[in-house]
Amino acid sequence: MFEVRFHGRGGQGAVMAAQALASAAFREDKYAVAFPFFGAERRGAPVLAFARVHDTKIYEKTQVYTPDYVVVLDDKLPQLVDVTAGLKEGGMVILNTREQPDEVELPTAVRCGAVDATGVALEVFGQPITNSAILGAFAKATGELSIEAVEQGIRDIFGPRIGEKKAEKNAEAARVAYERTEAGTCKAGKALDASKKWLPDVHDQPMGLATRKTETEAGLVGIGSFCENKTGSWRTFKPEYDADKCIMCQQCWFYCPDAAIKRNDERSLVSWDFDYCKGCGICASVCPVDAIKMERE
Amino acid sequence: MNMKDLPDKELFTSGHTACPGCAAPIVVRNVMKILGEKTLVYNPACCLLVFGGTYPWVAWEVPYHHVAFENTGACATGMTRALKRMDRDDCTVLGMAGDGGTADIGFQALSGAAERNEDILYLMYDNEAYMNTGIQRSGATPFGAWTTTTPAGKVIGGKEQFKKDVAQIMLAHAVPYVATANLAYPADFLRKVEKAKNMKGFRFLQVYSPCPTGWRADTDSAIKLSKMAVETGLWTQWEADHGVVKINAKPKFTPIRDYLKLQGRFAHMTDEQIDVLQEWVKKKWERDEKWLGALSE
Repeated sequence: MFEVRFHGRGGQGAVMAAQALASAAFREDKYAVAFPFFGAERRGAPVLAFARVHDTKIYEKTQVYTPDYVVVLDDKLPQLVDVTAGLKEGGMVILNTREQPDEVELPTAVRCGAVDATGVALEVFGQPITNSAILGAFAKATGELSIEAVEQGIRDIFGPRIGEKKAEKNAEAARVAYERTEAGTCKAGKALDASKKWLPDVHDQPMGLATRKTETEAGLVGIGSFCENKTGSWRTFKPEYDADKCIMCQQCWFYCPDAAIKRNDERSLVSWDFDYCKGCGICASVCPVDAIKMERE
Repeated sequence: MNMKDLPDKELFTSGHTACPGCAAPIVVRNVMKILGEKTLVYNPACCLLVFGGTYPWVAWEVPYHHVAFENTGACATGMTRALKRMDRDDCTVLGMAGDGGTADIGFQALSGAAERNEDILYLMYDNEAYMNTGIQRSGATPFGAWTTTTPAGKVIGGKEQFKKDVAQIMLAHAVPYVATANLAYPADFLRKVEKAKNMKGFRFLQVYSPCPTGWRADTDSAIKLSKMAVETGLWTQWEADHGVVKINAKPKFTPIRDYLKLQGRFAHMTDEQIDVLQEWVKKKWERDEKWLGALSE
């Protein structure tokens, strides 16, 4: 049996990738299950999905805690989450990255498969959705499944959802990524802090109302504490601002859903807080003088 | 208060996890800038609850409270009674719910609180479906819209019923203030929020709040869609101050087709369906003009 954990962001299709992998294994006469981690995730937030493949029936229903393989769909996630957590001895991480395997830095030195899945997806179907391309990399780097089975698995799962034509394009992306995948061993970089949990005594908390703003070992909690959640890593597009064109109407500031635009006192011009900007593009769309343009990061 | 006079201080912080391009945080940020720090907030189950606070993290900088889906009116009533008991009359109680939590599930508690004329500002952010649970139809979903419970197929083409007019139902409760508002008209929006803040008794605001994820629209389209909703006549801007109605803008009646084609949820609609909806817009305006007009003294 081998177990796989997928790291992605809401909207990148980690769940469909897990399902397509299971379907590919099924096509090779194996037993397979795939399931997502259920939580309050929105589009852009880090999400998990899992798959198990075995020669006989699978009775385990738990999440995958000690994966043989970890598949990472987003290139910024390894800086936020320890993707090697729980990885079995001799396990492998398959990454969407422009770097070579031996240039990649993860908390521990592990076997690593690398492909620029974003680049492949943009090239083949023009959208930065990496779930199909990364499966091609999985087939190449691990050798657990044939690329033909992976292509078929993608057709099985993607076809009914997005149509035959687009499914075929996704199968093609998997094939292209398969050809370009490099395998090796990554470097051991700095360890990411295991997320500390804040587990207060229920009797210490005020009834009903939200907790007061409190500094804990897990960071800030209570009212106003979401400011420690840096949503800037969700961004694919970034606003470019031309101060010379700006007429200081402040509409971008008013309409920013993330309060990521600040009004500056000196010249009343605006600036962005890229710790929070999710790159939605509303500022560019409401600017009456085209002083803001969205560019790929 | 106009846009440039709004304070810089955010009472709904950055770092919340709304999807990129969501209009609800734009509404919340700016409403809170007007209501100020002496505000108590109640949220039922809705997107805003989840992206504005995942225990123990909260984006609100004010006392914040949540119980269940169906009881915004009842819980907000409880908060007003607690304030009364404490002899405080300088605070605003804000109940903020989505269209599902207002038009359908929360309606009995809402109607009860309105009938008792509780001192509550109730804000319905209308994204036209149950988005938090993954896009199911609500009473406020428009005709023809695809949702996961009104799928578009060979037999049925999206939702078969028309949008429920919640604001007019609230007008029938004879409460001090009822208004519909839209972010594309910021001066009107801010004036209505400020007016509601400075009144006592039950005040109801229905704010149009595009959801790019659930509407299958571009992440930068929220404000454009808001403006088009008013121009096409799909959304009537009006207010009722102690039963005296004023319609704030007469629509230009631009073809709804331009509005529909920006949203994937309407992509399947046939010409006949679009004609049906266009005819409904005309009838709705005639009814609004006649029935709301009759109440304008």
